[in-house]
Amino acid sequence: MIEVAGLRKTYGDFAAVVDSDFAVEEGEVFGIVGPNGAGKTTTLKVLAGLVEPTEGEVEVAGFLSDDPEMRRRLGFLPEESPLYEEMTPLSYLNFFADLYDVPSDVADERIAAALDRLELDHRERRLGDMSKGMKRKVAIARSLVNDPDVLVYDEPASGLDPVTTNSVLEFTRELRAAGKTVVFSAHNLYHVESVCDRVVVMNEGRIVARGSVDGIRERHGETTYHVFTDVAPARTDALADALADAGADPGDAIEEVGDRFRTVVPDMDAVEAVRAAAADAGGGVVDIRTREPSLEDVFLDIVGRPMPGRYTAGSGAVDAADGGEDGDERDGSERRPAEPPEGAE
Amino acid sequence: MIDRLRRVLRVARWEVARAGGGVDRRTLAAALALLLVAGAVLGGGLAVGAVGVDVDRDVYRVAVDGDSPYADAVEEAPALTPVPVEGAELGDSADLVVFDRRSESGGVETVAVRASDTRKGEAAAAEFREAVEAHNERLMAAEENATAAFPVTVTLRYVGRTSALDEGSTLGEDGGGSGDGIGGDGAGGGAGDDGSEGDAGGADGDSTDGGSAGGGFAVPSVGGGAFGADTVGSPGSISPPFPFVSLLLAFVFLVPMNFLIQAYGSSVLDERTNRRGEPLLVTPLSPVDIVAGKTLPYVAAAVLVTTLIAVAVGGGPLSVAAVLPVALTFLAATFVGAMFARSFKELTFVTVGVSVLLTTYAFVPAVFTNVTPVALVSPLTLVVFDLQGEAVSAGEALFSTAPMALGAALLFGLGLGVYREEDMFTQKPVARKLLDALAVRLSAVEDAGLGDLVDRRRLRALGSVAFLTACAIPFVFVAELLAVATLFALPVTVSIPVLLVTIAFVEEVAKSVHLYAGFERGVFARTDRVAVAVGLASAVGFFLAEKATAVVQAVGLTELYVGRAAFGSVAGVEGLSPVVLAALLFAPLVLHGFATTVAAVGASRDRTYYALTLALATLVHAAYNFGVVSLHG
Repeated sequence: MIEVAGLRKTYGDFAAVVDSDFAVEEGEVFGIVGPNGAGKTTTLKVLAGLVEPTEGEVEVAGFLSDDPEMRRRLGFLPEESPLYEEMTPLSYLNFFADLYDVPSDVADERIAAALDRLELDHRERRLGDMSKGMKRKVAIARSLVNDPDVLVYDEPASGLDPVTTNSVLEFTRELRAAGKTVVFSAHNLYHVESVCDRVVVMNEGRIVARGSVDGIRERHGETTYHVFTDVAPARTDALADALADAGADPGDAIEEVGDRFRTVVPDMDAVEAVRAAAADAGGGVVDIRTREPSLEDVFLDIVGRPMPGRYTAGSGAVDAADGGEDGDERDGSERRPAEPPEGAE
Repeated sequence: MIDRLRRVLRVARWEVARAGGGVDRRTLAAALALLLVAGAVLGGGLAVGAVGVDVDRDVYRVAVDGDSPYADAVEEAPALTPVPVEGAELGDSADLVVFDRRSESGGVETVAVRASDTRKGEAAAAEFREAVEAHNERLMAAEENATAAFPVTVTLRYVGRTSALDEGSTLGEDGGGSGDGIGGDGAGGGAGDDGSEGDAGGADGDSTDGGSAGGGFAVPSVGGGAFGADTVGSPGSISPPFPFVSLLLAFVFLVPMNFLIQAYGSSVLDERTNRRGEPLLVTPLSPVDIVAGKTLPYVAAAVLVTTLIAVAVGGGPLSVAAVLPVALTFLAATFVGAMFARSFKELTFVTVGVSVLLTTYAFVPAVFTNVTPVALVSPLTLVVFDLQGEAVSAGEALFSTAPMALGAALLFGLGLGVYREEDMFTQKPVARKLLDALAVRLSAVEDAGLGDLVDRRRLRALGSVAFLTACAIPFVFVAELLAVATLFALPVTVSIPVLLVTIAFVEEVAKSVHLYAGFERGVFARTDRVAVAVGLASAVGFFLAEKATAVVQAVGLTELYVGRAAFGSVAGVEGLSPVVLAALLFAPLVLHGFATTVAAVGASRDRTYYALTLALATLVHAAYNFGVVSLHG
């Protein structure tokens, strides 16, 4: 449904997107993740035909991105959703339906269905008097007035309360179920994990990882074991050796949690070493938990720094970036200015 | 095409709805109520007038005989009521008594008027005096022999002849003529023997007979022959009978523009604020559709208001047609301003600037309607002519309206260049936005060897440079006309040098500013070879387009000294050899080529170099202009 080949977008000397290639299948929810300035929004705007690529080709629903026909088959939700505040939701949505040549009776039905599903009741209230969440729902409804095949959503749940966020994410899943193709960007990796079938991770304008969320996790993350003991494990040579062999830092591996001690280790040999060390200290293991790496951890591993404004609940104790290794696909040969220019993401 | 029109109309319809939605209902109701009150007052006044209820009618009783010579005057004055002299008593049955002392033959010898010794009596006497004066005026106006009714006394004052270019003369005067000085004599300065013909002489439009051709000034005629040679002059040397009423009414056409551009500018900037208009760019509509749709209601409003004003003040289709380019320019300049402004605060400065500049451009020259061809710079002059019921030639109409109409189209084009996501929502200073808008109209010019000089792509890119320069001509023309209109009233020793340098600067900027944009935005490779190529391309574009200004010849602007200085003249080339003629024809091309190349080389370096080379190019150009003016005398 979407083919991106050799995409490059530069603003003067600044390269916002470099040699980007990816394809999105019909009925798929495709995620683009990355830190600020990674090139996510620029990529989405190129897909939406808002920004002209400097090089490369972008085809959406069988049309090149500069083809007006492509725009008829696409719905776009920008990161911000400022609306015409003097209009009401109904007049605003009818206006856009009109621009897409949607017959008024069809538009009425479509708008009513979207607003019903999004649970937006105040349809005759001025948009300027509405909350951010309500405005976001109107913007989402706007992206659907032309019944598009492809939806390009830039941070759809940005700045929304948890209830509205869940509603938006659930709605995105329903769009997939209805056969729509959705390209979705987010800072919040939890959102991406919960909705997307496949993702690309972008950093400094380049795609540095791609695939299914599980596949990327497998390639770039590792399972860890959290061993809880009732005493601090004795700092024995055997424990130090086991942690060192597994690449863990003995100094950081043991942490006091309430009245227990948690030792994070990477393999079962190290678990055994912790058990022995706890026994040496006069205690024992009270609990062992296995933890799969989150996309957050994977991102940290690939990019070498944490996601700004990341979702931390359930994602483990990732507090600082200490310079993880670059991903395989990462190409650091091209140096770029530190700050993107205005207009570039 | 029809689909496109439908889309434009659709945007226009929603723009109207949106603009309407932006006005608070209470405000709307208050405005409507105010309008109703004003209408009621006006309508009431008219109704009262129509039924003849005058509050000052029949206030004073005047005792006068029916056969008195003052009887008619009293009868015609609404405030006076005639009563019979017989039995009239001052202060009782009459406020004023007119006693006719008659001779034996019955004729009136003397008249005595006596008023009651009260304040009402004094007022009655004053009203009576005014009534008699008004009655006499009416009698004189009805007189067939107007010369006898309104005799004119002429006092001749002879003054010494002075040089045309001395401190006292002005740009409007014909220099170096052999005329008879201000006022002229009967044969040379006027067009006829008597005053009335002299006034009408301008209507002949025969420049060879006029005072100007003889070197002196004829008194400008009212309402005729505005562009004959006998009509040149300036406020410094003549006292023209300004068409004040027409001018005032013409100004009324400009007033609504100021309100329109406020609403329009806000609407355009509103799209840019917080990316509100971004979703529109994702629809199948092109930027041209969107802008046309957004602009259409304001153009329609301008046409509607202009038509209503024209009907109210007695103007015709010519007035509407003349004001339309002004309205479009107001809107176009506001559109560009709103596309470049970063905030509503900046937009306010832009709209005020647009308003002041365009009002000046439209109004100031129109003040000199019937006085000098400079007046035709402004379309408002056509309105004045229309209100005076005078005919306007097609050439004059074109001269007045074409620069503004073309300028409006090009301004819309300039703004549309940045009506895209990449430029629309960025917060750059206005100057950088201007450079962006210019750069998007250019194609890349890479450094190339001699073999690639005629490469088709390269030629197309250089063609776009020449075209963009040519597009600047209407603005250059407008700027130069504005300079002429502003400076022509000053003494030439001051204004000519200022004018020539100003014109040189305007033209050099027009030829090189987009080249600077091209280098700054990386469209052109920063090499001397590229600088020379784009400089020469720009010069050729300017040279070719400049020839379009030949239209000034058609309306006689170059008959003005300042007109020749600004636009040159082909007069006086008769008898020159073809080689000299060719040299004269291509001399400007050589000048433009050299000056623009110098500025382009500077532009390819950096801003400082560009400023320095632009100054150098301006000086060279100004020196050339001085030479040309000196040659032409």
